[in-house]
Amino acid sequence: MALFRTAEIIKASKLPPEGVKLSRMIDAVYFIPIAYLGVFATFHMHFDLLAGDWDFWIDWKDRQFWVTVTPIVEVMYPGAIMYYFWTFYRQPFGATVSITGLLVGKWITIVFAWYWWANFPMNFVMPATMISSALILDCTLLLTRSWMLTAIFGVWAFAMMFYPTQYAIFAYSKQPMVVDGQLLSLADYMGFSYVRTGTPEYIRIIEVGSLRTFGGHTVWISAFFSAFVSMLVFTIWWQIGHFVGQSFFWVKGRRGVMSRKNDTMLVGTDEFAVRHGDLAGRPLPAAATLAEGKS
Amino acid sequence: MNAKNIFKLCVIGSVGMATLGLTLAFTASPADAHGERSQEPFLRMRTAQWYDTRWNPQKTNVNEEAMLSGKIHIAEDWPRAVVKPTRTFINVGSPSSVFTRLSSKVNGTPMFTSAGLELGGDYEYVIKLRGRLPGHHHIHPMLAVNGAGPIAGPGSWMDIEGNYKDFMNPAKLLVGGTVDTETAGLANGLFWHGLWGFLGFAWIGWFAIRPMFLIRARVLAQEGGDALLNDPVDRVVAVGMLGVVLILIAIGFYSAESKFPYTVPLQAGEPKIKATHLRSDLTIKVLNADYDVPGRALRMTLQVTNSGEEPLSIGEFTTAGIRFLNKVGVANNLDPGYPAEIMAVDGLHMEDESPIAPGETKEILLDSRDSLWEVQRLMDLVNDPEQRFGGLIMAWDEAGNRHINSIAAAIIPVFTRANAG
Repeated sequence: MALFRTAEIIKASKLPPEGVKLSRMIDAVYFIPIAYLGVFATFHMHFDLLAGDWDFWIDWKDRQFWVTVTPIVEVMYPGAIMYYFWTFYRQPFGATVSITGLLVGKWITIVFAWYWWANFPMNFVMPATMISSALILDCTLLLTRSWMLTAIFGVWAFAMMFYPTQYAIFAYSKQPMVVDGQLLSLADYMGFSYVRTGTPEYIRIIEVGSLRTFGGHTVWISAFFSAFVSMLVFTIWWQIGHFVGQSFFWVKGRRGVMSRKNDTMLVGTDEFAVRHGDLAGRPLPAAATLAEGKS
Repeated sequence: MNAKNIFKLCVIGSVGMATLGLTLAFTASPADAHGERSQEPFLRMRTAQWYDTRWNPQKTNVNEEAMLSGKIHIAEDWPRAVVKPTRTFINVGSPSSVFTRLSSKVNGTPMFTSAGLELGGDYEYVIKLRGRLPGHHHIHPMLAVNGAGPIAGPGSWMDIEGNYKDFMNPAKLLVGGTVDTETAGLANGLFWHGLWGFLGFAWIGWFAIRPMFLIRARVLAQEGGDALLNDPVDRVVAVGMLGVVLILIAIGFYSAESKFPYTVPLQAGEPKIKATHLRSDLTIKVLNADYDVPGRALRMTLQVTNSGEEPLSIGEFTTAGIRFLNKVGVANNLDPGYPAEIMAVDGLHMEDESPIAPGETKEILLDSRDSLWEVQRLMDLVNDPEQRFGGLIMAWDEAGNRHINSIAAAIIPVFTRANAG
């Protein structure tokens, strides 16, 4: 017994063997050079503009804004990309593609821009990783097959798991030390030690505001807040994915009336004729042509 | 657009790219400074008045310590167009972190985080550095003002020799032990990034080994396609992946907690730095001042009163880190380490150079004249939105005691030789 349903799926696609072969070539060309590189380039830029400094510098990774801002910004692209991959292909890897793409971009930047060009040590500019959260999000979508349940449970976990995941990487930087009679964390000292001419200390947006007032549990209050905002943001970006990811054709019928057809994958097939021909299922007459399209 | 036009555009684009490439290949050279001359004169002359700046020593080896020190007077006549220095940070202007900063004290108070400075206040800063990246580096003290940006002080060259691979920046922890900030946590971070990256790509790969797009899209568009694509094995893998992810997160979190039981949050405090104030027996009032554009001179008429008991002689006018001295200034305050390119040792002239006697009040025509006004782009003052200048006047008694006055006044440009006076 086969592990996958691949044979059944290929059969159901009604593509000839050469079509199947061609589709795999399209998979390779489309997925890696176009979809993946496109996502990593644009998401990287998007993320760095909205949450860059918290992710660039070790002395920005606080209990409050880092924990709040990063998941909110990192769930945006996954929302739209998940819509696209899930709605059109039922592929549950939109979040993982987005976040791994972001990290590929970030690591290229770390090695070439921060380490090689600007001479900062890599540990000083190490990014957070939300691949764990992305996997949770994708698995939730696959298992629930509902974007609403994914927004409620998956995105909640996406944000809540952020800090525990990062703690394994960055806990060392929160060790205390004393310099010139002042208590600092190691991260503070590293931020002070590595001179950043254009990024003076006051640029840091850390540990201000009132989220810490709930018994001092700043991290978890921030994480809860972030989770709720992330749910909203995910929903908005899922709808953005819906808006920009529409695929349809305008079809001119027998009476010359233009109508919008969304099932673009069936254009030109018998099933299209069945669906959009007359009620008896007769094929479209010669006069009915594809007038214009948009995708 | 026809093929001919496309070809023409390609040729033009190729020539452009080649030109750019050749230009970069043959003319790119290291930057000699940090663009401090591009800062507007009113910003440089009326905010932070830098003096007594020292770069010591000017040659160090990797891992050896150096000192950047000096004083800043925060001008009373701070421009309206610049945000007041309520949150500032004494920084180092350098091409990347060529030195690491070990300590920074302002008037004896450690300045790890930003602080407010007082208008009219005087501050002595001492920044302890450690040589990190070998090279010939232009180093400035810098006052970063929240909302106004960095205000660069005078810059000088510092050389670091040795090998970067030998560099270490040990940090002693409160709970015991020492870590090197160059490598602390790096291997652990790479491990976790690698592990999560592996799982992420494995998850994508699980779906990538099967038809990904076209075939699935065609199936999905059909009746029953959704159910067909809902492969049971994917659901089993998803449940397994969820479990693995949650277990790994828990292992990472709790192992870090047990490894680092004592942690503190990032420190976001604000040191309170007490200002000192300039002391002088002179009282100086600027009666008028003009800027001789063709003569490259700032001329001012001062009403000076000596309320002390010793005769005092004016020897230096300094503004924007640029120093104009006469014989008195050279004799008392010539630091051979100060960069010659921002110092005019015969740049200060007075009609009457006799000392100001105790109790005496007199008018002095002070003329600071040098091409530095142009070279350092302070002549651009005429283009500023506020025609005022500021600076420090230094005078000495016979015993060598220094008296410093901060001055500021409106200034009138003189554009032509005909009315240059």
